[in-house]
Amino acid sequence: MAFTRRQFLLTSGSAALAAIGAAAGARLASARGLLTDPVLDALVVGALAAAKKAGASYADIRLVRRRYESVAAREDHVVDVSFSESYGLGIRVIAKGAWGFAASSRVEEKEVERVAALAVEIARANAKVVQRPIVLAPVAAHVDVWQTPLTRDPFKIPLEEKAEFLLAINRGVLAVPGVQYCSSSCTAFGEWKLFASSDGGYLEQSITRISPGYGATAVDAKTGEFVSREHELPPMQAGWEYAEDSTLLADARRIGEDAVEKLKAPGVEPGRKDLILAPSNLWLTIHESVGHPTELDRALGYEANFAGTSFATPDQLGKLRYAAPGVTLYADKTTAGGLATCGYDDDGVRTQRWDLVRDGLFVGYQTTREQAGWIGEKASRGTSYAQDFKSFPFQRMPNVSLAPAAEGGSLEDLIAETDDGIYVTGDGSWSIDHQRYNFQFGGQMFYEVKKGKLTRALKDVAYQSNTPEFWNSCDRIGGAAGWRLYGAMSDGKGEPVQTNAVSHGCPPARFRSVNILNTGERKGA
Amino acid sequence: MEAGRLEAIAREALSAAAELAAGAEAQVSVRSGRSAHTRFARSEVTSSGDVEETKVDVALAFGSRHASTSTNQVDPASLREAVARAARLARISPEDPESMPVLGPQAYGAVPSEWDEATEALGAEARARAAAEAIRAGKARKLVVAGFYEHWAQASALATSAGLRAQHASTGAEFTITARTRDGSGSGWAGAHSARAADLDPPGLVQVAVEKGIRSAQPRRLEPGRYTVVLEPAAVGELLAFYTRAADARAADEGRSFFSRPGGGTRLGEKLFGDAVTLVSDPADPELPVAPFDREGLPRRRVRWIDRGVVAALHTTRFWARRQATAPTAEPGAYHLLGGQAASVEELVAGVERGVLITRFWYTRWLDRQAILITGLTRDGVFLIEKGQLVAPVNNFRFNESPVAMLGNADAMTRRTVRVPGGGIRVPALRSHEFQLASISEAV
Repeated sequence: MAFTRRQFLLTSGSAALAAIGAAAGARLASARGLLTDPVLDALVVGALAAAKKAGASYADIRLVRRRYESVAAREDHVVDVSFSESYGLGIRVIAKGAWGFAASSRVEEKEVERVAALAVEIARANAKVVQRPIVLAPVAAHVDVWQTPLTRDPFKIPLEEKAEFLLAINRGVLAVPGVQYCSSSCTAFGEWKLFASSDGGYLEQSITRISPGYGATAVDAKTGEFVSREHELPPMQAGWEYAEDSTLLADARRIGEDAVEKLKAPGVEPGRKDLILAPSNLWLTIHESVGHPTELDRALGYEANFAGTSFATPDQLGKLRYAAPGVTLYADKTTAGGLATCGYDDDGVRTQRWDLVRDGLFVGYQTTREQAGWIGEKASRGTSYAQDFKSFPFQRMPNVSLAPAAEGGSLEDLIAETDDGIYVTGDGSWSIDHQRYNFQFGGQMFYEVKKGKLTRALKDVAYQSNTPEFWNSCDRIGGAAGWRLYGAMSDGKGEPVQTNAVSHGCPPARFRSVNILNTGERKGA
Repeated sequence: MEAGRLEAIAREALSAAAELAAGAEAQVSVRSGRSAHTRFARSEVTSSGDVEETKVDVALAFGSRHASTSTNQVDPASLREAVARAARLARISPEDPESMPVLGPQAYGAVPSEWDEATEALGAEARARAAAEAIRAGKARKLVVAGFYEHWAQASALATSAGLRAQHASTGAEFTITARTRDGSGSGWAGAHSARAADLDPPGLVQVAVEKGIRSAQPRRLEPGRYTVVLEPAAVGELLAFYTRAADARAADEGRSFFSRPGGGTRLGEKLFGDAVTLVSDPADPELPVAPFDREGLPRRRVRWIDRGVVAALHTTRFWARRQATAPTAEPGAYHLLGGQAASVEELVAGVERGVLITRFWYTRWLDRQAILITGLTRDGVFLIEKGQLVAPVNNFRFNESPVAMLGNADAMTRRTVRVPGGGIRVPALRSHEFQLASISEAV
């Protein structure tokens, strides 16, 4: 029995629900904007029942469909058009105090029973090697639907339109003398999931993300030197309107000219200088030096074999001067357009906003239902996420952002107040150690600041610092007018590694006396 | 059995293509398998999973207009939809001058088996036992362990409308372990990867990680600078991978690569390293088994990327080979940096007046493509060497260095080479000089 959505809506008051005969189905019917094909409801209810029958004290199931469509062009032609889709179910259980998880790409009644039983079997095997039985923080039994607000579904945009958009960008870039190569691409990501848990959650969410971009390469044939310049437009949770309304096309010539300027630019003189970081650069520094260290599982050693641990341990909570006074960094899975934004996390917890660093003081962690009790908190912060049907949900980074200063000025003000510094835009190389102390970041464009003015472009710049030292050196934060959201589609964590899309917003900010390196010293070696 | 099922899916997709995309060239790739894992940390199991999935990739081309789709739903209706969508997308795709025809029948050489029944049969109980043993061994020495045990079994089939047929089955397993002292001042690591789970020896790996964890506690401060280094295999493999990624013929010909020569041409044929440095891909290597074909069905052959110090080959796609009138290189699947003369890591250390032993690297990223300059950090066991002896644990470092310099300054390597976690690379430990440890990392 399969219904279209329309059929179900028309009949949901009576016959269809009677056919399903499940309490969850009745709840779904009253949820706003119902999307679900009701035939799935029987599977979901069956999965939870099978897990319970096999001995689970808790169970949840996620049906997840992921779609991905990409168009890529280089110079005057399109080189790749691809679409991929994955669909399946993952069942997570607690039995005898331990987690078990199993998944399958076959969304069928019999397979659901096998997968549920296997998840419980795995939990039982693990229970012998568990010291602290899993305890989940309470959660309300939410029944709801959540969707990305968008006006043009990127999966419905004609391919020709996307291809011409990219080729027009390439033409604009390649019209600049001295630019030899240009690669552009646009990828749309669709993530649909239906979540149900034995605690009563029943949630359907549809998330759409889009990632357009391009880069120019200029080569000096005589010296053999080459540089690349990437456009800085970030991926966003949005529809095709985001690409269309962006300045991608209008910027094509400037990006080409930047590449040529960068190629001719002198290398930076290494040493300590003041840094003014544009939001297009600072977001990644926030991600690495604030987002990851405040993941509670990491701080407690759960990632010790892979991503590492954190200097921000629970004994420092409420004590550590993480940053200079005036610096407030907050987590927020409700930020409009944020890549990690959604209605509910993969534990079924409603998403929220809270502070991680308030006025310089370390005050908060990212948690899940499992983790809240580890630091004596009564409720989860709602940051559980699994990348697809076959992945185990665990703590993943929400959008983490720097609050603008109430009286903060503009970028121009920051530059005017700086005597000897470097202004950095865009992200380049990035690397940070496994406890999140020592980091080194590059960028796209670098400009010398002398006596309050931008004087010339520089190249081969990286800044290296230590997280608490860096954030405590922050002495100027821009105002709300300059606050911008950037982000990344694929942040990695866990084993097997899972990716998570996450955004970070900030205004421009200044950091005093930061160690600047010249990364070009081995060129031509 | 499984191979038969995959071939049937491939045939079904090809016949759907013949019907729905008449006149198109088609390539169908089917992969099906199971992977399972157990993760442990803070001396207990934290999560585990068991996943089954079948994936189908369909690539269609009408002349030089092409597109591809991928799905993990293999019922007849879903397969037809994947084919129909690929056809729709291909028909409206702009012409691509880089498009290449699909391959016809190929002759593949015999390769060592990559399949192991015992690995295929592993389950949650066996993984939990290995985790429990590791936790016990750590506790006995007052260390907290975290680790990951993963195994998989997969079959694949490749078919084209031009008559190519290929199939392969593989198993694999990986075990990694980190042992930290309770005061957080010491950390050791070990790991292994093999087609056969029985080769992993978790207790042996745990022992190595535990010893390193204990020996690395309370590190002494060592200033940044250029040092003689003894790099254990995990560190060598991590840095060498950037060399293999950079060694692309097209980028070199286009002037945007380390392998480009100023004024034009490439560094092919240049002797950049000592005679002992040879990097190969060899599908006949029983210690590094791979499928006999790559994603397009090109036969994998033995390639010497670096031959006794000379840059001997660059990765060349079929399109670029046609354009440059050379031969393509199949995507190799795995690399082997041949070993040297040293009997052991200890022998490498014995030849160092003052230097540093490094267990592995972390968070390695490009700094500069022109020089293949890479940044990253040391991790899980860094020791000061003086007069041929390990004298003390030292702090971690950020390095800014190139695999070209690592190989160029290498003066000794162990005879034995090992397959490091990640699986695609087999390397010796090596000794190199003038390695730039750029700044101190307080991380442990």
